[in-house]
Amino acid sequence: MSRLRWGLIKRQMVVQLQVATLNLYSLGLFVIQPAVFIAVGMLLSHAAGNAMPDLVYSVVGGGIMGMWSGLVFSSTYDIAGDRYNGMLELIVGSPTSLATVEAIRTLTNVLSGLFSLSLAFITSLAIFGYSLHGVNFWGAGISLLLLLFAMWCMGVFLANFIAWSRISTWFVDYLEMPIAFLCGFMYPIRVLPGWLQILSGAIPIRWALQAMNESLLGNRDLTFLATHWAIAIGISLIFLAITRWLQVKVHDSIRLSGELSSI
Amino acid sequence: MIQSLVHSLRVYLAEAWLSYHGRFAITSPFGYIASKLGFPFFLMLFFIFMGKFVGYTNPLYIVIGNVLLIPAANGLGGVTLAIRDERQWGTLSYVLGSPAPRMPIFLGRAFYYILDGFVTALLGLAIAAGIFHLDLSQVNFLLLMVCIFLVAVTSSGLGFLFGSISLVSRDGWMITTTFISALYILVGVNFPIESLPVVLQKVAYVLPLTRGIMAARLALDGAGWNAISRLVAGEVLVGAIYILAGYLCFRLIEKRSMASGTLDAI
Repeated sequence: MSRLRWGLIKRQMVVQLQVATLNLYSLGLFVIQPAVFIAVGMLLSHAAGNAMPDLVYSVVGGGIMGMWSGLVFSSTYDIAGDRYNGMLELIVGSPTSLATVEAIRTLTNVLSGLFSLSLAFITSLAIFGYSLHGVNFWGAGISLLLLLFAMWCMGVFLANFIAWSRISTWFVDYLEMPIAFLCGFMYPIRVLPGWLQILSGAIPIRWALQAMNESLLGNRDLTFLATHWAIAIGISLIFLAITRWLQVKVHDSIRLSGELSSI
Repeated sequence: MIQSLVHSLRVYLAEAWLSYHGRFAITSPFGYIASKLGFPFFLMLFFIFMGKFVGYTNPLYIVIGNVLLIPAANGLGGVTLAIRDERQWGTLSYVLGSPAPRMPIFLGRAFYYILDGFVTALLGLAIAAGIFHLDLSQVNFLLLMVCIFLVAVTSSGLGFLFGSISLVSRDGWMITTTFISALYILVGVNFPIESLPVVLQKVAYVLPLTRGIMAARLALDGAGWNAISRLVAGEVLVGAIYILAGYLCFRLIEKRSMASGTLDAI
């Protein structure tokens, strides 16, 4: 059984990666768009009179932006694409649940986003001479893993809406910028007004990202990091629980009404 | 002669309405408003906080720039999609096979997007003025409206060009969205053109929008016609070149497709 499941995961991931690699749109999402945001950050910094931009937020932050954009658009477009090509019915009708397929695809999409982050990180090291001196490596590593987990939870949560209703594609598409803005992808969260900081607290990505950025800046305060990690895990698990509940609802709704394509 | 003109005008308006209605009729009100104002609003907030973090002291520059980009994104993105969708939905062969004059068919695609972009930008400006307490006491409203309308028209020139490209390339929309992203850097939306490296400054001046946005900023500061006339004339010229280039590109693609019969095979 576990061999069968591992085979499914492997095949799904390979197909997903092939689709992403052969699609020029991925280049835009994972490379060009982050590069544009990094350029805006750097030019704003230059216009403000700074000799050097802040590398953690302006450059590495651009990579986070690429990860998120890639996740939002690839995860939602997967379902929209299946629906458009008439594949969604076959997936829902197959013995493997839609939830499992979505979970594997989203995991692949999240891991693909690492390309964007790696590119931004390498750029900051090779071109801008970002020094790794003083970086809290283990803190950054754990935070990155939690960031990936938080993004995966958000991804599978959002994918449900697209399966349920094609109109919700509009809603999910427009989450790209609000989440980036609320989670402080390219600036520290303290820049936001207090009420927006409270609002952003409901998004697990924000806590993991804050811990990662602080670790990159050399913060070794274990209490600070552990608190952020715990909150990120807690909220991610809440999203996962809601997703599980929604998946049953979506599945029931689809089977009872038989309206998978007409919603 | 008059009959021919009336016919062209009728084709133009019918094309304009069908193209716009075809795109937005299936959209929910939420989707419509989100696409018009939602995305630009959150993008603007993102840039404002980026600016705040790096110590950029003029957030209103970003606010105004992003509001002025609304009609541009509408003209560029909307017109590109209006042309691309003909191929996407399989109606391109009918359009190319019809005996209707090409000019009104092609230019008609932009009419409502220009109008829509213009109205949305005014609405965006009013909302931004309310939220960010913009001082509008000095504004030369008439010239500002002229500049916003001009930006909407000239950006449709880019839309025609990218729309034509999307007829021959399946990655046309990706190329267009990449270009729209580049506008955040190139045309003086978030920071003055002078902050760009010299090469990019030269690129900025061969694009529509750059002079239009500069003129609109001057009108917002209360400048008169004399102060912005050169910028407006430059914007008209650059915009006209792009519209003409887009139209010629469309005719070239049409001619090639008639000869080879391979338009839908790409």
